[in-house]
Formats: sequence, structure tokens, C-alpha cells
Amino acid sequence: MAKILVVADIKQGVLKSSTTELLSKAKDLGAEAAVVAVGSGVQSLVAELVKAGSDTQYVADDAGLELFSAGPYAAAVVDAAKQFGADMVWFGFSESSKAVAPRVAAQLDAACATEITDVTLGEPVEVIRPAITNKVLQRVRINTAQLVAVVRAGAFEADEGITGTENVVQLAAPEPDTKAVVKEVVSDTSGDIDLGDADIVVSVGRGARNEAGVELVHELARDLDAAFGSSRAMVDAGFMPHNKQVGQTGRIVAPSLYMAVGISGAIQHLAGMNGSKVIMAVNKDPEAPIFNVADYGIVGDLFEVVPILREEIKKVRS
Amino acid sequence: MKILTTVKKVVDVELNIHVQDGAIVEDGLQYVINAWDESGVETAVQLKENHGAETTLVSIGGGDNTDIIRRCYAMGIEKGMHIDDPALEKADAFIYARVLQKVFEKGDYDLVITGKQAQDTDNGQTGIILAEYLGLPCVSNAVGIEVIDDTHLKVTRSGDTGDEIIELELPAVVTVDVSINEPRLPQMRGLMMAKKKPIEKLDLAALGTSAEEIGCAAPKSEVVEFMATEKRAGGRKFEGEAADITAQVVQLLAEEAKVL
Repeated sequence: MAKILVVADIKQGVLKSSTTELLSKAKDLGAEAAVVAVGSGVQSLVAELVKAGSDTQYVADDAGLELFSAGPYAAAVVDAAKQFGADMVWFGFSESSKAVAPRVAAQLDAACATEITDVTLGEPVEVIRPAITNKVLQRVRINTAQLVAVVRAGAFEADEGITGTENVVQLAAPEPDTKAVVKEVVSDTSGDIDLGDADIVVSVGRGARNEAGVELVHELARDLDAAFGSSRAMVDAGFMPHNKQVGQTGRIVAPSLYMAVGISGAIQHLAGMNGSKVIMAVNKDPEAPIFNVADYGIVGDLFEVVPILREEIKKVRS
Repeated sequence: MKILTTVKKVVDVELNIHVQDGAIVEDGLQYVINAWDESGVETAVQLKENHGAETTLVSIGGGDNTDIIRRCYAMGIEKGMHIDDPALEKADAFIYARVLQKVFEKGDYDLVITGKQAQDTDNGQTGIILAEYLGLPCVSNAVGIEVIDDTHLKVTRSGDTGDEIIELELPAVVTVDVSINEPRLPQMRGLMMAKKKPIEKLDLAALGTSAEEIGCAAPKSEVVEFMATEKRAGGRKFEGEAADITAQVVQLLAEEAKVL
């Protein structure tokens, strides 16, 4: 029986859904599934980690782990992987995962696959992943006994009926990284729902032009209880923070509804939202590439269209 | 400060990519410098201009990389080497990292700058694995770098909850995101001068190593097939009076798509 260690996706003390999704896939493949939780105060998540489907919970809970730091986090995951005898270590998709997974792979001398959409067990194990800015898929053969993988957001489905068993193993606190010291984190305090959690995502692009335009689109997002994202242009221009950038190099999202407002649809942006169930776009330029992927496209000036959208949405939702 | 910056020749992602019989169709492909490495080069050149850093680039594989290396020279990189060897044909991130480790050990570098990922593989692993092999601290996904002193950098990293401000001790590896800067366009004069600059060409033996030592015969993973992605078809495009078409689309979103 294969042994799969899932790294719990914990953000600001909250256990994210990818944990259940990855554990569901592991059990679906007939594997023995454990989870490793790293952070400060994560001990309190044990019951949820069991409910998410894990049969062993490796916990590295230490005040020193409050701020994310790739070195210590990787050390804790490696510790769990060795104790469990993991054949595979899976991470949900996040910036932290992308920073930690290659370290874990190097330390375990395992193969490393990022952004996998599928995995098949066997001799050998194979994974599927996108490449060339989401333009092609690769089928990759894994030649090592162990694999460390970062799973694409939404690639695996959660099994609603999944169950687990409590079997907690405390890990020793890893050494802090004294050479790369996190001094502070400039947090996003907007109170918006996280991009990865939202059923609806509204993203703003260059068409919004300035702060007033960004705020107009932000209002639309708030009306819909949606997450608020951005194209790269608006992040580069300083109107939106880095971690709201949807795209190949930022966040990959797959909500039920994605509204691209004032976004032209560059390849790199499409790579980040192409998996959305329904795409709606608003753009002044009828030739904008976004219209090639949008299910519903409105050709128009967002300054005119967004207020009308908000009105119409209010009517429909009441 | 001595900087080593990596530069990969990759396929131009703006063009159409076709798959046939499990492989990428070579015909019509164009190659460019990896956008993330270009930002890495710009980062190195800015450190040269503002802090007197010495800059060297290394490019691995890719056949004829002369054009992209000269472009980097024109941007301001002072020295460059191209490592190529038939044994590197199936190189994965770990093999690239081993080669870079050899390059690093041959020199006297304080800082390695790599792009955070390559636009052909989108793996994002090489720089981080290199740091592991060298036993050096590493910050990935950097969106800002400032020099504190000769041995410390202040690196801003884009993380999950916001921007992480990290004090990094040299020697170290930093992988950069494209949002860290806007790479300068090389000027004509720079490109002309670049043609006169030598590019050190090395195979694995010249680098003081071998295919066996690097592990070339056993990549940890291999691409066995390329497949086309499911092409997402565009839907309907509405043009006309804003009030009308917007109302129409909202109705459709609610009743047809059922996502409102």
C-alpha cells in the first residue's frame, strides 16, 4: 500500500479545503494517508485534520513557526516524511508550498513535480501537469522511489464522506533559519475573501486605469461576496498587492464564476483562470484576447458597465 | 559583491504551440530569454550600477545561446559562460542544479540570482534546489532586493499572506519574480559592443566534472509525452447599448449559467 503524506494547507490558523481534497485523492488511490501540520497553534486543528481524512497527524507546533519560513517548514515536513515512510509528499498550491517542496525533494533525494493535475500509481508513478504557460500538458514519468508534488488548485475533489483516525505524532520543533530571517509580514488587511476560497472571483485590469477605477471594481466584488483579484499590470503599477495577482506567476484560481474587468487576456493571465467554470469579461476592445475564452463578453467601457452590472446583479439577487 | 545570474533559452510562449504525436512541433517555434531570468539579469545589473557588484551569467544547454547571452551583455552583464554537453539532454531541475553547483564552486560568488521559474517547464525548482546543494540560505519569489551591507540583503518576498520582509545573509540564492523590475531594452551600441565580448564555452569535463558525477544518466523525472490542453472555446460577445447588453448578460449568468 502506498503511503502518502499530505502537507496541511493552513493559512492564518485556518485549515484550507485543499487538505481534504488531497487526502480524498490519496484514499481514492488506495493509499495510507497521513497529514503534517506546521505552524504555531496548529495543535488545535487536530480534530479537523482527522475529519479531513488523515489516519496519522504529524504536528510541528512551535511559537517559532508563527511566521512562514521555508527552511524550518521544510525540515518539519522532511521529519514527518521520514517517520511515516512516505512514498509521496503532496502539497496544496500556495507560495509557501512552492518554496518548500523543492527543498523537501532535495533533502529526500526525491523527484519533484509542481502543479500536477493528476497522478497514477504504478511502476512507475506518472503525473500530468501543464507547461509552457498552460499551453500544453506533460505526462511525466517519475524515476525515483519517492515523489514530492505540489497539486494544482482544484485538481482533486473532496470526498464529502471521508473519515480519518486520530493518531497524533508530535514533531520536534525545527531549527529556525538564522540566515534568512523574516522580519515582518506586510499583510493584506482588506478583509476580502481569499482568492483560493471564493466561489466568485472579480479581477481588475489595466482598463480600470487608477485607484478610482480599482475601487469601482472592488465594490462589484464586495456586492458579490467575491474574492478580488488583479492582472499583472495593476500589480506592477502598484494599485494591487502581489498576492492578488491571478496568473501563471501568481494565483491559479478555478471558481464557479470569474469576472475579468478591464483585462485584455494575456497568456500569463489566462493560465491563472482558464479552469474557471464560467468566465465573464468586460473590455472596451472587441478584439481583446479575453473574449476568446469568455463565455459571456461585454464590449464596453467598464466605467459605464460596472455600475449597471451592480444594479442588475442587485435586482437578480433580491 | 560577486553575482552569478542564470539565463535560460526557452520557447517564446506568445506564439502558438502545437502538439503532434506526443511531441511539440518544432516548426515555427521561436526562442527567447526566459522572462524571469531577464528580470534576474536586470536585478544583477542594477546591483552593479548602484553597488559596484561584479556580474557573471551562466546559461546551460539550448544549443546556440549566443543571441540571448549577447543581449544580456548589452544590458550590462560583464562576463558569461555557456555550459553545453550532450549528456545534459534529459536534464531535470536537479541536474541543472548540480551543474550550477559546479559553476558556483569554480568561482567566488556571493549571490546567485535565478528567475523563479522557466516559462517552458514552469517548474520553479532549480534555484531552490541549488541552494540546498550549496547549503546556502535562499529566498524565492523575490519582488524586491535592497543592499543592507556587504554581507546582508533585505529581500521582499511575495508570500501567501502578504509581502514578507527578509534579512538575508550572503552568500545566498535568490529567485526573482518578473514583478521585481522592468528589464531594460538593450541599446544598439550595447548590442554592437556585445558582439566583441567573449562567451566562455564549457562542457562538463571543462567544468571539472562528468556526466556520472552530475547524475545525467538518471534524471529523477522525465517528460514522456506532450498533450494538447483542452481548448476553451469562447462564448458569446455582446456589443451595443451598455444598459441592454449588461442586463442581458446578468440574466444569462443567473438563469443559463446559474452562477449568480
